[in-house]
Parts: sequence; C-alpha cells; structure tokens
Amino acid sequence: MKFFPLVWAALTRKPARAVLTLLAVSVAFTVFGLMIGLSATIDGVAQQARADRLFSVPRFSYDDGLPIAVAQRISSIPGVKLVAFQAYIPGYVQNERNHIYLNMGDAAMAQVYPDWQATPAMWEMVEHDRTGIVMSRLQAQRWHKKVGDTLTVISPQTTKADGSTTWTFKVLAICNDVLLAPDGFIFGNYDYLDKSLPLAKQGRVNEVDYVVADPAKAVGIAQAIDQAFASSSSPTQSENEKAAYAVSNNFGGMDVDLLTHEIALAGLGMILFLTANVIAQSVRERFAEFATLRALGFGDGAVIAMVVLEAAVPCLAGAGLGMVLAAFLAHHIQAIMPPGFGIPMPTITAAVYAGAFASAFALAFASAVLPVLRLMRMDIATALPRRA
Amino acid sequence: MNGLRQVWIVSALNFRSLRARLWQSLVIVAGMACVIGVLLSMLSMTEGLHNAYINTGDPRAVFVISAGAQWETQGSLARDKARIIMDMPGVAKTADGSPIAEPGLEVGVPTLAKNGARAWIILRGFGSQGQTLRPEFHLVSGRMFRPGSHELIVGVHANERFRGVAVGDKLALPDGAWPIVGVYATGDLRDGEMFGDLETLMLSIRHKTYNSVLLRLASADGFAAFARQLKTNPALNADVMTQHDWNVKRSADFNQFMRIIVYGVGLLLAIGALFGCFNTMYSAVAARNSEIATLRAIGYGAFPVAVSVILEACALSVTGAAIGAAFAWGRYDGVLDGFGGDIFRMTVSPAMIGTALLWAVAVAVLGGILPALRAARRPVVEALRAT
Repeated sequence: MKFFPLVWAALTRKPARAVLTLLAVSVAFTVFGLMIGLSATIDGVAQQARADRLFSVPRFSYDDGLPIAVAQRISSIPGVKLVAFQAYIPGYVQNERNHIYLNMGDAAMAQVYPDWQATPAMWEMVEHDRTGIVMSRLQAQRWHKKVGDTLTVISPQTTKADGSTTWTFKVLAICNDVLLAPDGFIFGNYDYLDKSLPLAKQGRVNEVDYVVADPAKAVGIAQAIDQAFASSSSPTQSENEKAAYAVSNNFGGMDVDLLTHEIALAGLGMILFLTANVIAQSVRERFAEFATLRALGFGDGAVIAMVVLEAAVPCLAGAGLGMVLAAFLAHHIQAIMPPGFGIPMPTITAAVYAGAFASAFALAFASAVLPVLRLMRMDIATALPRRA
Repeated sequence: MNGLRQVWIVSALNFRSLRARLWQSLVIVAGMACVIGVLLSMLSMTEGLHNAYINTGDPRAVFVISAGAQWETQGSLARDKARIIMDMPGVAKTADGSPIAEPGLEVGVPTLAKNGARAWIILRGFGSQGQTLRPEFHLVSGRMFRPGSHELIVGVHANERFRGVAVGDKLALPDGAWPIVGVYATGDLRDGEMFGDLETLMLSIRHKTYNSVLLRLASADGFAAFARQLKTNPALNADVMTQHDWNVKRSADFNQFMRIIVYGVGLLLAIGALFGCFNTMYSAVAARNSEIATLRAIGYGAFPVAVSVILEACALSVTGAAIGAAFAWGRYDGVLDGFGGDIFRMTVSPAMIGTALLWAVAVAVLGGILPALRAARRPVVEALRAT
C-alpha cells in the first residue's frame, strides 16, 4: 500500500477529529453488533428448532396440565416414534422476584432431546437420585450452584401432599446451554414431583414431547392429535418446534427482527453524516495538496483510492472496536436482566461480523462520494497552492 | 444587562453564519434525529404497554388470587373460597344487597394475529356483576351475549388485531363453536380480550376452580382492613392487592427488561451523537475563528462567545430531536401492538417528546462546552494573527 503513509499523514493531521470520529463509529457499530447479533440469535433458534419434534400442551387451561394418559394415547398414533412428558415447577429462590422454573421429565426425555446438552448419563443420574437435578451452565451461574450443592425452590403453585411448598434439590450435574433455551434450563425427575403431590393432583403433565418419523408429516400428526382430543376433557394444542420457534412468533408477536434492523440502520445513518462530513472537510483543507498530487501525475484511480482509504480507516477500525465491545456486552446482558425473563444473548456470528465490515465499507464509500466528485471536477491550475 | 445584550448579538451573528456551515451542522441534526427517533419509537411500545396496565382499575377495585400466582391463569380459587371472599365485610353492595364482586376466569385461546403471527387471545368470564364492576364497559356494535348461552363478545382491540373474531365468526371451544355476537370497549387492557358468560364458560372449559376474584370495596380506604381480614384466614391462602398494584406487579419484570434495553440502546446512540457534536462544534469554532477574534478585539466578552457556541449546539440538537420525535410520533403514536395476550396502543406523548428534547439539550451542552471554552479562551492576538 504505497498510499498508506499519505493517508496516515492526513488522518493524524487533526488527531482530535480522528479520535472523535473513531469513537462515534465504534459506538454505532456496538449498537449494530448487539442488534444484528440479537437478530442472529433469533434466526439461529428458528433454524435449530426441529421440524420432527412436536409438543402438546393444554389448549385452554395451560397451567392445569393434561392427564398423563394423553402421552400414552399420543405414543399409539402412527408415525410417532418417541414420547416423553414433563411437568413444570414454577417458583422462586429466596425472593419472589427471583423467578425459577424447573422441567421435571421422564426417562424418555434423554431420547427425545438428544441435542440438548443433558446427556443420557446425566438423565440416568436423575433417574436414580430422585431429588437430583441437572442445571445448564447459565442457570448454575445465576443461582451460584456447583455440583453437589442444594437448590431450594419455593413454589406456591406446587404444594406437596404434606402441605409444604418448599422443594429441595441436589445439583447432580451441570451441562452446557442450548440456543433453544435462551434462559438456560433445569431438568429434574418427573416421578419425584408426581409422587410428592397430593393424590388428587398426581398423574398430570404440562407438556408431552414427541418425535415423529417423518418431519413432513409433523403438521398432519399435530392436527390429528388435536382433533382426537378436541372434545375430550383435555383438548390439546400441538405443533412442531419449527413452527413454535419461527422468527415471527418470538417475543409475544413483536417483530423483533424488523426492530433490530431498524435500530442498527439508524445507528449507521447517524454515523454516515459524521464520516461524510469529516472526509469532506479533510479533503477541502487539503485541496491544494491534492492539486499537487494531480500535477505530479497521480491518476483518477489513485486519488479516489486515497480518499476512500482515508474514509475506510476510521470506519473499519471503528467497526472492529465496536464489534469487540458488542461481543463483550453481549455476554453480560443476561446478568443485568431480571432473572427468569429469558432475553436471548446476542450471538456475534461470523455473518454478523461480515455484515458489520460490509457496512463499514459501504459507509466509507458513501462518505467518500461527494469529496471524490469534487476532486474529479477540480481545475488543477487554480487549485494549486499559491505562495509568494 | 450589557452581558445579556452581548450574548444576544453574538448569538444572532452566529446563527446568521450557520448557512455557511450547513453541511457540518447537519451532522448534529441528523445524529440527534436518529437518536431520538429510535429512542421514542422504542419507548412508544413500553409506554403504551405501561399505560394499558396502569389504566386498568379504579382505586376501589381489589384483586384476590391464590397465594404466589405470578399471572392470572396460575391462580386457583375453589368455589367455596371465592364465595367466602366475596361475602367478606367491606365489599360494596348493590341496591339489592348482593356484593359487587365476581370470580375471575381467564383462559388463553390460541389464535392468529391479522399479520399471521401466532398469538393467543384472552377469554374472560363475565358474570352478573361484570357491568357493575366495570362501569366503563359498553357495547360498540352488535349485541350483548345472552346469559347462560354459548355466545361471546369481543373487545375493540382484539377485533382489530386478531383473525376470525369479528361479529358473525365462531370460536371453537371444547363443547362446540361459540358465535361472536358483539363488540365492546372498556378503554383498558380488556379491549384486547373476549368476554363470555362466566358460569357457562366454566362448564365449557371444564374448570373446577376460578382463577381469582375481582371486587369493589365500599370505600377506597377500606383496603388495609379488608386485606388484614383476608390474610388472617389461613384457609383462603390468597394474595390480595388493589387491581392497580396487581397490574404493576404483573408488568414489573417486563418494564424493567424493556427499560434496560431502550435506555441502553438510547444511551449508546446518544454517546455516538455526542462525539459527533464535539466534532462539529470544534470545527464550527475553528471556522468562526476570525469572527470570534474580531468580536473579542472590539470588546465583546469571553462569556457571550462561549454561550453562543453552546446555543448553536442546542438549536441544532433540538432541531434534530424534533425531527426524530415527529418521525416516531407519525409512525407509532396510536398504532395497535400486542405483547402476548396484552393488546395496547403505542404512544408518543407530549411528555415523552419533552423528555427527548431535554436529552437533546443535555447532549448539546455536553458536546458544546469544551469547544465553547476553547473559543472563549483563545488569545485574541494569536487568533487574529492566524487568519
């Protein structure tokens, strides 16, 4: 890059201006990284969701659950391969605002959710140690638990046969998180929960999870199941993960994808005026210098390259800095959110980085257009420096 | 007086030369327009939802739910318990002596929004005291459901937002399809829901217990006594709060969550705009170098010069903020949005716009103060010589 010394000299001519520009661009790309990263997470979830895995929940009384017989009935439907079921323990830790949520599953969960990071060996441990749980890393961090610790959950909704609402669990294993559970997860033993409840409340599940042999038939099977239970005492609402996690269905129907892109764009728009102006100013101040360069025989291409490069340096450096900051912040977002809210962590994927640098280039080119046009129309003779 | 006059003259001179620095000045205008546009657009959502929650409930309205329930469908109050609660002293009575109270039943029914997104619509039991408890309830079109019949009425917002809930449509419930016969309005979150006859719905959904009890106290200051009475009955095992407090509690987490995001993004963008403002004002001061030096030389003080720089930054910043606010207001004010089953209108209120303009002034003052000091402090002789 033979022009680089020249460009560097131009940039360092006004160091304060260069630094301020760099900082502003960095901030815009921090916002860009967080927003597009969030959108990438949502897309990733939608992609990772499986079309062949379905779940049925109560259609009308979500919190009351379904009789366990529904699971048996579903397993007899042709095309259904594996069936598991789970019941939830919603509650809190110490303080009512520390929401926590446990998924108490049966042994088949290990086969229905092989892609989740709780291994069959971990499920085996939960099978044998009935008060045991497997926590994902995120949850373990939130409640400061390590293997062997005790987790005490108060669940006013889940009263034991003896009238107590305090549930004590032993942490048997800690596993990695999965994209599908942005807030982390805790697995426990369904049978332990069931047998602890009063007799009248036993034998109910909140959710039946099952895998079908042919993903193409998933929608048809879901409809068949809902029809079969439509006029029973427990109507179901069934669908596959693919549909449930579709981008448009996230966040209670808010169009987060559109929102994140608009915010990222607004950030870039804000910066475009700044960079364009800085470059224009810098070129205006050095008009005579450019005239000298042209007089020395620098061609159009060389002059364009220099201006674009001068714009590209703060844009690209700012993009780099901003993305690093975004990646750092992304890891700490969950710590400042109310527990149990489940905001997905923005994932700064390679595609997000690529998008950022492509935007940085576009920004540099857009900023350079007007100054370059001006230089192209320059009359060298009048623009040359006049000195006595 | 003389100082103020100087400020006025220097600033006027300054603004007259703005045209020469048009493109530069646009950096601040465009920057603030983006910051405030984004901030208010996001706030329109949180404020809209917040207003919808806070609007619901008069001060005498009291909400009782089984202990520890975080949302209404989690609540479970047996019929006998609900009866005890409704008959407790302190509850307002109608002319014929029956308590102004009603058990609550809330059912989420899966449905589709008009844009095709999956959603659920809240179906609520409406009993004999439904109208008395909600004086603002009125029919907008169609007719009321007949008590005891399989008929539903739909709120104006739900009617606007969801598919298949217009008058004449039918909603599939476990014991058949219930026709929708009317549209109602209440002016609060209930507008995003549907009402059906309470006891008929209980049978249809096969609910054995209610979710909650809604009642009106005879007087607003009777709450403490009523709550004490209810809490001291261990058999009830229920939480009691004013309906307003229940709504605040229910929306607290979402509010905290949204505020962190909105103000986090707003703050980041504002920092970006601040750097832009710094940059622009430094070059503005540089461009006005000889003008400032001349003013100082003919006796104008340093203070008016500094003030004129900050005033310029404020004017540009507020102009940008106004553009951003106009955009957010035009695009989002009054637009219907939904978060889960809660339907609300987004809002960009004058108070929000006022706050946004204050942000703009704060950014301008912060971004203008160092350039202003530089302009004021530069030795006159040196500045004159440089030109």
